[in-house]
Amino acid sequence: MMAFLETLNPGFVLVLAGVVGCLIPARRVRQGLMVAAPLIGIFMLSQANQSMDLATAELLGLDLVLYRVDSLNFIFGLAFLIAAFLNAIYALHSDDQLQDGMAMAYAGAAVAAAFAGDLLTLFVFWELTAVSSVFLILRAGTRAAYFASMRYLAIQILSGVLLLAGITYVYQANGEVTLAAFTSLDDPGAMLIFFAVGIKAAFPFLHNWLQDSYPKATVVGAVVLSAFTTKLAVLTCARLFPGFEILIWIGAVMTIFPVFFAVIENDLRKVLAYSLNNQVGFMICAIGVGTPLALNGAAAHAFAHIMYKALLFMSMGAVLYRTGTTKANELGGLYKSMPLTTVFCLIGAASISAFPLFSGFVAKSLTMSAVAYEGYVVAWLMLLFASAGVLEHSGIKIPYFAFFGHDSGKRVKEAPFNMLLAMGLASAICILIGLPSFFGLGYGWLYDLLPYPDVANHYQPFTLDHILTQMQLLMLAILAFILLKRFGLYPPEKPGTILDADWTYRRLGFGFANWAGTVWGKAGPAMTHIAGLLAGRGYDRIEAAFSPRGQLSRGPLTGGMAIWAAALLGMAMLLSFLTVQ
Amino acid sequence: MSDTSPPGRDSSGRFVKTETPTQAPVGDDQMHPIAKLLFGWVSAKSTPGLFFWGAIIICAGLMLADLAIHRHEYLHFAEFNGFYGIWGFGAFALAVLSGWPLGRLLRRDEDFYGEGDATPQDAGVEDEA
Repeated sequence: MMAFLETLNPGFVLVLAGVVGCLIPARRVRQGLMVAAPLIGIFMLSQANQSMDLATAELLGLDLVLYRVDSLNFIFGLAFLIAAFLNAIYALHSDDQLQDGMAMAYAGAAVAAAFAGDLLTLFVFWELTAVSSVFLILRAGTRAAYFASMRYLAIQILSGVLLLAGITYVYQANGEVTLAAFTSLDDPGAMLIFFAVGIKAAFPFLHNWLQDSYPKATVVGAVVLSAFTTKLAVLTCARLFPGFEILIWIGAVMTIFPVFFAVIENDLRKVLAYSLNNQVGFMICAIGVGTPLALNGAAAHAFAHIMYKALLFMSMGAVLYRTGTTKANELGGLYKSMPLTTVFCLIGAASISAFPLFSGFVAKSLTMSAVAYEGYVVAWLMLLFASAGVLEHSGIKIPYFAFFGHDSGKRVKEAPFNMLLAMGLASAICILIGLPSFFGLGYGWLYDLLPYPDVANHYQPFTLDHILTQMQLLMLAILAFILLKRFGLYPPEKPGTILDADWTYRRLGFGFANWAGTVWGKAGPAMTHIAGLLAGRGYDRIEAAFSPRGQLSRGPLTGGMAIWAAALLGMAMLLSFLTVQ
Repeated sequence: MSDTSPPGRDSSGRFVKTETPTQAPVGDDQMHPIAKLLFGWVSAKSTPGLFFWGAIIICAGLMLADLAIHRHEYLHFAEFNGFYGIWGFGAFALAVLSGWPLGRLLRRDEDFYGEGDATPQDAGVEDEA
């Protein structure tokens, strides 16, 4: 039994649990299964041998590796499993079979994809993440969520199709589908897979599926969605495109532009979606640098980010669950009725802002140092700008407008116990991995799990230089906030829709399609009419010339044509006879 | 007989100072007991002032500490005293102040795309399920 468990991808167990969960109406039984499955998965992962093919299969002459654990995917898989466990606890207050099951299947698909050892297995679970996660948006039950889920599904499936097309090119070129890093983007297969990853990682201009769908998902759905898809893309990017310089610039731009959108966005869950974009930018930038220190930074950041982003989405989910809104202009003063949620949100805010003693600090320091060490001055300055931006939208805006600021007068119950428990556990992780190393805990525990633990353990995040510079950055930024608020220069929170790149397809593209449809609706019948008219006239002309009643049939002699034909034939015969003679 | 006098006047037509109805402030009596314990200080009148001066003192301390500590940076220009503080302050201020023009440029009606309210159906539950 143990030998079997050691060779079984934990993701398969989660997918199976999810599918079975959809069919179990008994709430407590189903929820017990949802909580137990990730714990079993973590146990299975702890038993797996690293850097060897643990489960293989053959399909259509292709060698597939269904389960392979190595130093890169271990930390991602572990983070996914912990997130699945926390999500299951967070969902205990609700009784939704489909949501419970699909959330677990989605987590399982992400885990299975993380531990996939070849491109084709990756593709299968890549698509499964899309198909299973769409239910988390659909279950919101609104018209807006329905449209958003259809856009989400179309874009996610497009990513899968691009991945599959890329795989066929790779197979044609190499004769195998192994998960080996590409050396350049010149190969069409590499380029197609790059775009597939780019969609899932929400590269600039490919990012709007995220801000469109996550804020429209259910209370639990947004928490679940925040953990898996983008980080699976980060892992795939680290696997296939490490050290690609273009990623440094894509990542740096990704960290910057969401900052400006988050400032003016009123929906706090959408602010978190922009913040997610910004955080993934740090990871993508680190992958672009590609050195062991940078890849450690990307992996550490992904782990820490999954925890604190889930925590922030959980706190906003609790606010949404109790008050019915996450619009900043309708909230404020909730610390009076939801104090524990406030504390957990503040821990998440401190973690994402990278305050020393919180998880973001020990993770982001690796990336910042790696970028500086390789001499990318402009990219480093962009990341530093974005660090202050993170503090603005996730560190201050989220807790300030929801829990403090202007008192909205809303007096609600504190979040349900299961939500508080999940937030408490996530907070504990955020703090425990952010502390200096002690007794196997602290940041040392995280650094031991990184792809290059030797390099990581030589890195000291808690130096006087690091702490001083980080505190300078954060405290002066906080001072800027206090001054801007004091002098009335902070833009007020206003309801509205903020236009982003999705305007191109939701308005411009949709409008063009509508216009084209209208034009075709009118031009089609007109063209049919003209074609009918021309054909009718042509037929009339031909009929007038060649029919038995036509012009050519008329003449002095009946059957004149036959006589002419006979005469011409006779002349031709005579001529040929004379020529032969 | 109903009072037909215009608003702000009594039945004799004289101006009177009417008491304008004010919205009763939501009292702190409904505060969660843990909130009183953890965040009782938030609503104190002196809190904003304390935050303001506290932040100034901490920031001044951090900038002064930079003078005393010689930092080693991979990028040498970052060794300039107070570089991180100035960059953080400037970045934050730029990001926030850009919200004014960007809001005017990009903000549209809430139902701009005509898809209706996006609040999920499981939101706004007061009692535990």
